[in-house]
Amino acid sequence: MLSLTTLCSPNETAASSSYQPPVFRLRSYNQTLPPTLCSASDSVANQPKMSSPDEQDPRISKISSAIRVIPNFPKPGIMFQDITTLLLDTKAFRDTIDLFVERYRGKDISVVAGIEARGFIFGPPIALAIGAKFVPMRKPNKLPGEVISEEYSLEYGTDKIEMHVGAVQAGERSLIIDDLIATGGTLCAAIRLLERVGVHVVECACVIELPELKGRERLGDKPLFVLVSST
Amino acid sequence: MSAYRDKDPRIHGIQSKIRVVPNFPKPGIMFQDITTLLLDPKAFKDTVDLFVERYKGKNISVVAGIEARGFIFGPPIALEIGAKFVPLRKPKKLPGRVISEEYELEYGRDCLEMHLGAVEPGEQALVVDDLIATGGTLCAAMKLLERVGADVVECACVIELPDLKGRERLNGKPLYVLLESH
Repeated sequence: MLSLTTLCSPNETAASSSYQPPVFRLRSYNQTLPPTLCSASDSVANQPKMSSPDEQDPRISKISSAIRVIPNFPKPGIMFQDITTLLLDTKAFRDTIDLFVERYRGKDISVVAGIEARGFIFGPPIALAIGAKFVPMRKPNKLPGEVISEEYSLEYGTDKIEMHVGAVQAGERSLIIDDLIATGGTLCAAIRLLERVGVHVVECACVIELPELKGRERLGDKPLFVLVSST
Repeated sequence: MSAYRDKDPRIHGIQSKIRVVPNFPKPGIMFQDITTLLLDPKAFKDTVDLFVERYKGKNISVVAGIEARGFIFGPPIALEIGAKFVPLRKPKKLPGRVISEEYELEYGRDCLEMHLGAVEPGEQALVVDDLIATGGTLCAAMKLLERVGADVVECACVIELPDLKGRERLNGKPLYVLLESH
């Protein structure tokens, strides 16, 4: 799986002081699926060629520009990436879903897990389009019946996410969806929950990544696919 | 009107996938759990299709979904009918400028918020949630939309608990549900 840094064009360096990056730095995400994404019957030889890093899907820039940044929310110093404005743009929202569906359709994925609450917005349309079940991963005490929980660290303290017992079977192939990856703490907890019941997490998929928070590294060997990177 | 009464052949499959969990979130409540419906791709798709068939081509430009289970059903409907999706959320979740509507609970009050500018005056809107019980939350949702000049065409839920008389609380606003649970 290529790391994002290898997709940068040679002219982009952190040291380019004359370049003022816009809030949204668009990366190319026309990556071929890594071997782990393929079902067992695909041979590596059948994989399509890697597309050039400079070929960005034309839908990405409208998606990126539809996302609104709110300074100092939920607390001072945080630049909040607000996807609700994307949901108001019917074409851009459609394109967002299509980009994920095109990537995951026909890959034997039977589970789309979505993290409460904004993962509930993107996960179900993807699940419906690829014929997978949708599994909500929720804050404590929201899911009725038997659940399993996974605790994870916050900047101060801990939080927990829960999943229904029996929602997924051992051996199923799963995606995890959220609107954004920051530190990766929540996504990591979601991965652990699924792996504890024997599910193979094929990839994590988010609309936005905040690369400076190094969430991708926190996912370890688990692939991450995002549409927009925000620095 | 409910589709159950119309006996659409898909309804039975949808109903059979909803799980009732007794004594949740507190003793005496029979909780209607739609998560088991979401585990059946065909039944979930049929659920969405039933709403889409009703609302497509009716000039609806807004689907408002109530946090959090309205976020599961609202967006697929919005995408299919070409409407925008507007999340209605608990307090302090939406960044930026919001309007709030308070409503009564059995004990105490709660509040629902919507982004300013998400909806324009004159737009035609649906409000979507998984279930209508007393109708308090749906009422607050309708008020939010009406305060910014939108026309709420209908409220749409998968399940109605008719014994709680939520339908009457909607002040004459139409309600469409797929299933009733007594």
